[in-house]
Amino acid sequence: MSKFLAFSVPACLGRFVLLAAPLALAVGCATQAPAPVDDRIAAEQVRAPAAAETRGLQVFALRNPAVTELSEAAVQAEQAGDLGRAVTLLERALRIEPRDPELLQQIAEIRLGQGQWDQAESHARRSFDVGPRVGELCQRNWRTIALARERQGESEAARSARDRLQACQVEPPPRL
Amino acid sequence: MARKRSPGKTPRGWLYRCSRAVLLFALGCGLGAIGPWVWWLDREAGQRFADRQWSQASRVYARALELYPDRALSAEALALELAAVGLRPGDPNQIGRFEHRGDRVEAHLPGFLFADERQPPQRLSIRFRADAVAEIRDGGGRTLSLARVPPAELGSLMPLDDRDRTLVALADFPPLLVTGIQAVEDRQFAHHHGVDPRGLVRAAWANLRHGQVVQGGSTITQQLVKNLFLTPDRSLLRKASEAVMAMSLERRFDKADILEAYLNEVYLGQDGARAIHGFGRAAEHYFGLPVQALDAGQIALLVGMVRGASWYHPQRNPERARARRDRVIDMFFQTGLIEEEQWRAARSAALDVRDGQARPVRRHDGFLDLVSRQLRRDYRDRDLRGTGLRIFTTLDPVAQQHAERVLADGLARVESQPDQLQGAIVLVEPASGEIRALVGDRHPGRFGFNRALDARRPVGSVIKPFIYLLALAQPERWHLVSTLDDAPLAVPVRGHDPWRPRNYDNQSHGEVALMDALARSLNQATVALGLEVGLPALLRLFDQFGISGPGDAHPSALLGAVDLTPLQVAQLYQPLAAEGYSAPLRSITQVVDADGSEIGRYGTRMRPIREREALALLDVALRHAVTDGTARSLSWRLPNDPGVRGKTGTTNDRRDAWFVGYTDDWLGVVWTGRDDNAPAEVSGAASALPIWADLFGALPLRAPARSWPERIEWYWIDWPRPLLAGEDCPNARAVPFVVGSQPTDYSPCMGIEPDPPRRRLWRRH
Repeated sequence: MSKFLAFSVPACLGRFVLLAAPLALAVGCATQAPAPVDDRIAAEQVRAPAAAETRGLQVFALRNPAVTELSEAAVQAEQAGDLGRAVTLLERALRIEPRDPELLQQIAEIRLGQGQWDQAESHARRSFDVGPRVGELCQRNWRTIALARERQGESEAARSARDRLQACQVEPPPRL
Repeated sequence: MARKRSPGKTPRGWLYRCSRAVLLFALGCGLGAIGPWVWWLDREAGQRFADRQWSQASRVYARALELYPDRALSAEALALELAAVGLRPGDPNQIGRFEHRGDRVEAHLPGFLFADERQPPQRLSIRFRADAVAEIRDGGGRTLSLARVPPAELGSLMPLDDRDRTLVALADFPPLLVTGIQAVEDRQFAHHHGVDPRGLVRAAWANLRHGQVVQGGSTITQQLVKNLFLTPDRSLLRKASEAVMAMSLERRFDKADILEAYLNEVYLGQDGARAIHGFGRAAEHYFGLPVQALDAGQIALLVGMVRGASWYHPQRNPERARARRDRVIDMFFQTGLIEEEQWRAARSAALDVRDGQARPVRRHDGFLDLVSRQLRRDYRDRDLRGTGLRIFTTLDPVAQQHAERVLADGLARVESQPDQLQGAIVLVEPASGEIRALVGDRHPGRFGFNRALDARRPVGSVIKPFIYLLALAQPERWHLVSTLDDAPLAVPVRGHDPWRPRNYDNQSHGEVALMDALARSLNQATVALGLEVGLPALLRLFDQFGISGPGDAHPSALLGAVDLTPLQVAQLYQPLAAEGYSAPLRSITQVVDADGSEIGRYGTRMRPIREREALALLDVALRHAVTDGTARSLSWRLPNDPGVRGKTGTTNDRRDAWFVGYTDDWLGVVWTGRDDNAPAEVSGAASALPIWADLFGALPLRAPARSWPERIEWYWIDWPRPLLAGEDCPNARAVPFVVGSQPTDYSPCMGIEPDPPRRRLWRRH
């Protein structure tokens, strides 16, 4: 056995350098400039106030454990600063549960962090449409929409989103 | 030097002196030249080895199937998927095998390098109940909430030299392959300096005995040098260069680098016009497995092929290949690389290479066409070929197989002469815009004209819902039970006779509810409505939905005299199926380079459209078309109707037939007609709809879970008159309205009340 070299060398593949760098430059559409620091904080602005306002109606849906697993992995990736991986994980979860309002809002907040205002707004809007439309999630939806609109310079539309935000905190509607 | 006789000198003395001078000169020249020659070879070998760039095919993968409890999927569909991925039926304790028995699938998934993580081989046991996954367990019996099946490889973009290769790092090769190749090809590899004099002597002796070159006696390093730098001729000069360069490599690089390069470079046969280089690709090609997953017998077969890949080819020369493999297994055993038990098992195993037919089935060509168009739009050709990109796409291989089959079967069923009709299918997951299947020809293997992408055909009544959408977007003017007049009309056309649209049945139907006019696809009522909302508005709407509007503004466009491709029709209907969020249809999700770093990402980009409330109403009308309109044959064709909404379309003289339908999970477009655009005796309901129904009947379908926009309210209506009614009225029917647009008059069945209370049915948030 010892006659032959039995390698357990760590990956030697570093030599196989390919044309990665010029290619990355060629793909303008796929990469974005990192968001300025205060945009990252924007996502926190959306979450923090809503978390403090957990009065009123809260709606919690039963979740597929696969969705939970992916969504938790996404939170970890986001905390580690890997926003791209976080979105990949959330989109995998969204393929499993395309109408999960929590997932959609998670993506919206990461898009805020990435400075992709239009996608932040669209995802928050979709989250609202399929979500409970009251309570904490509703507030995060409209806070995201308001912030995204502000950053896009649509102050009038942002104001109406802030107004809509107020309506999230309602008593539970009577069942008919 | 010229031969000149000079007087006074003896010819013999002159000749002697002269030849001595020539010899000395030649020797000097020789000695003087060898130095630079060796120096040049040494430098050349070093530089070229250090700068080498492997070309590697760029590979295109299907979407990876996610398994989780409650996933709508049958055991049969999973077995189909596993086969598409490359697993074969067999003992699931072996990597790359699966076993389907009743409501259980046991599988041993090979490892795969996903864009986001490396997944090791995984033993899974999946239990099903009634067309859904019930439970997933791993090899240790633990319950898993999520497992990912490696994606099927759909095709590859070859480097220009047509060398197919999958690079593998030395540490990732199985240890038996690394040691075994030395045992068979070069036992002194660990010790020599590039050439092995003993081996050389042995080879020289053999050659001498046979009077010709029969044995190489080359070391692994020499073989590598020959493959990388030299031509395959067997001259003495080449042999000398090879030896010099081999020693040079050994001096400059370590054994690990050399062996790794060798294992990735060695020639191991042909795949059509492509040359297979390296054990990584060979393992995938011959066994459908990553090289890490090979067992001793499989390793022995490939190692044996190094000596002559076509001579020992397992498919073309199976007996020779088997004898060679057994010889190699013996060598493994004799050198102590395998135990006796392994030796016995490997010798008795069959060759077990993949069936040659399994691989090159030219499926998915229509889809790959779309992928390559998108790639060519975003990348340069030289960045795509040979750079080892991994392109992850959205194709569902099982849905694709279904789509191909139902199109072929469905056309054969309706045509009067064989092969008269053609067709196309586009299947999309509406929420994300991901294309799950695409068929551009009824013969899956034949690939030329891609009808799904390139056949621009009149869409007929498929256009009508968009006219109704525009009308419903003006709730102060129209709602679902507005009364329309289906009566003969003449539309003036500048410079031509007026246009007089007629109905399919050549009759006029008088007053009809708006929702009914769409469901029954009445032309006269629709044209009247279309003239009110205006053709320019319709073209603007197309623009908003991502279809560049046809410039033609003839009013017949209102009845679908607009040429669109099946893919464009799918794009047009996508926001309808996705509850008002438009997303560009896409076939690619991610592009990763050979090092595993992401260079392109195509995430879901969605945009809420303005007419979301009108769209919710339209959705109800399209459901009405399926339950009570032109598409009502669906109810018996698709017995477990999961709430399909859809629209038929048939063009003049029955040249084109369309059906577009969607559920919450899928949107499908079917087109049928003739390539020469001749009357084809087709109709939306009779030709396209049955194909659509067959397709959707084979898909896992979930019950719809629509949510309504905020400003929608439902009322009881005295159907089909626009009058408020009570639940108990004989014709009462619940209809949604944009808040405030509901009728204000009451049906006689309510009894006259002086100040009637609002009869609101319910309000949905």
